[in-house]
Amino acid sequence: MKGSTLVLGVIGMDVHAVGNKILEYAFNHAGFNVINLGVMVSQEEFISAAVETAAEAIIVSSLYGHGQLDCRGLRSKCIEAGIGNILLYVGGNLVVGKTSFPEVERTFKNMGFDRVYPPGASPEQAIIDLRNDLWLREEDIHGRSKEQMPNH
Amino acid sequence: MAEVRNKCLTIKEFEAVRQGVLNQWPTGKGLALQEAFSYQKKIPKQKRFAERIEEAMVKGEVLTQPRAGVALIDQQILLLKHLEAEGGADLLSATIDSYTRQNRYHEAQKGIEESINAGRSMLNGLPVVNYGVASCRRLTEALNRPLQVRHGTPDARLLAEISLAAGFTAFEGGGISYNIPYAKNVPLEATIYYWQYVDRLAGLYEENGLSVNREPFGPLTGTLVPPCLSNAVAIIEALLAAEQGVKSITVGYGQGGNLIQDVAALRSLKQLVLEYMERYNYKVKITTVFHQWMGGFPPDEAKAFGVIAWGAVAAAFANATKVIVKTPHEAFGIPTKEANADGLKATRQVLNMLQGQRITELQALEEETTIITAETKSLLDGVERLGEGDWALGTVRAFAAGVLDLPFAPSKLNRGKVMPIRDQEGAVRFLKHGNLPFTQEIIDFHRTKVSERAKAEKRPVSLQMVIDDIYAIGKGMLVGKPS
Repeated sequence: MKGSTLVLGVIGMDVHAVGNKILEYAFNHAGFNVINLGVMVSQEEFISAAVETAAEAIIVSSLYGHGQLDCRGLRSKCIEAGIGNILLYVGGNLVVGKTSFPEVERTFKNMGFDRVYPPGASPEQAIIDLRNDLWLREEDIHGRSKEQMPNH
Repeated sequence: MAEVRNKCLTIKEFEAVRQGVLNQWPTGKGLALQEAFSYQKKIPKQKRFAERIEEAMVKGEVLTQPRAGVALIDQQILLLKHLEAEGGADLLSATIDSYTRQNRYHEAQKGIEESINAGRSMLNGLPVVNYGVASCRRLTEALNRPLQVRHGTPDARLLAEISLAAGFTAFEGGGISYNIPYAKNVPLEATIYYWQYVDRLAGLYEENGLSVNREPFGPLTGTLVPPCLSNAVAIIEALLAAEQGVKSITVGYGQGGNLIQDVAALRSLKQLVLEYMERYNYKVKITTVFHQWMGGFPPDEAKAFGVIAWGAVAAAFANATKVIVKTPHEAFGIPTKEANADGLKATRQVLNMLQGQRITELQALEEETTIITAETKSLLDGVERLGEGDWALGTVRAFAAGVLDLPFAPSKLNRGKVMPIRDQEGAVRFLKHGNLPFTQEIIDFHRTKVSERAKAEKRPVSLQMVIDDIYAIGKGMLVGKPS
């Protein structure tokens, strides 16, 4: 899982660049191979980058409130592109206004995202989750048991 | 693309592209300027933005202004009426949604429809272009205070045409401040030209006796922007606007958090912009805006009010003509109308308590003002040199050369070699100054300030320190010190 490729970007017409630069730094620092598409990334751009680089996860940020409109259909487009099993993470200020996070999380999980992060979540949490999720997938392949899961 | 020049567009040049601009979306078609002028002439004086803010400057008032935008126009009217009545806002805004900002009117239309279906706003602002002149007139007529368009649109020509015709009397933005922080890959030649069009349009209103206030967006990327950089951009945009016939300009600065630096930054900005206006003999009324903290906020609302109140203090001591107010919901995005009014009320309380109080003859303030002015002049001299005296051309070349370089900007045109950091007292300094044309004295000043902090924190200077600074206010501190 170290050296796994991640595709990173800010979706839609969103130009929030700061967190994107910090995430790139943090994921690189944690040993991942980061393909950072920057701001204003379309669903198609995420997917073609993931296909080209055989990425194991797509990490979507949305800070401007249009997340729900912009993210809809991403999972089904992944399936169409033959990468239906790719990990999809999303985080930021995903909807317009202060909303209860469990509700937001439910909405985005129903849209096919594996993990959903609230405003202000630290990159460290996503790194821990990525290591776990990617490890679990390796385990599926190699038939290891869950008890061997590493502590972080 | 042809190179841009800082020269007032002729009416022929303006007319040559105008129909193309108006035809970008059906609501622009057939928009007649003469009809727009007659409509604007009926707007009462107390609702004209330029008149109100210039009156405030003379009287020494600090005006409050919220940001505010939702998808549906009737909801927008309710929102602004609430901010007027309950929040006591002196000036009002319609914040434009992010689809409109990128000229994606089809997506904005979908956002309106989805908002109607969902019973709540699915857009982060008001899609003014989609509504068109008649609907927006209903909005401007429903309110009693001056109304400004606030956005982040690289090509805002159609938005400007529609909103001014609809009775808005102020328009934010500029060819640099709405490009480098708001776009990924739009040439500066293009945005400077788009904004010459907007400024010329404002100039045409002026020539018909109708004031239009223009405001370069001061905070830029809103993240640890050293004052000299935002001040240099504001001064250039003021010069570009004045050349097109704009007569009312509000230059701005985003709060850094260190009081001395914030007060010094706005003082230096005002002095320098007046100096440059005089040099070119532009007859422009200059006012100032102070933006409360534009970076990450604490999610806790009581803590957020602390940040808001500190911004009000700095605005008062900086003697700003207006302050753009944040809300206790900032950490979560778009606020409710109640939270928005709360931010305005907290700010007004502090401004009133500080009325008449001044910081004068403070040595640290003098020193900080001197250094910001010296840095800003170095940058402006660099731009002027590269442009061979032309500010438009100089700006394009300066970004290419890294002589202007904004931290954390999304645009590919920006070199991205500059890295800011806070010093021991929280003032924003340069960790890396890239290709900014600074004297050795200025470079040494920043080096000393940064090493003082590293020594105090007993850790080497690193990117981690900068990241700690970016998150610090959200976590309850100004400087990102190790816990």
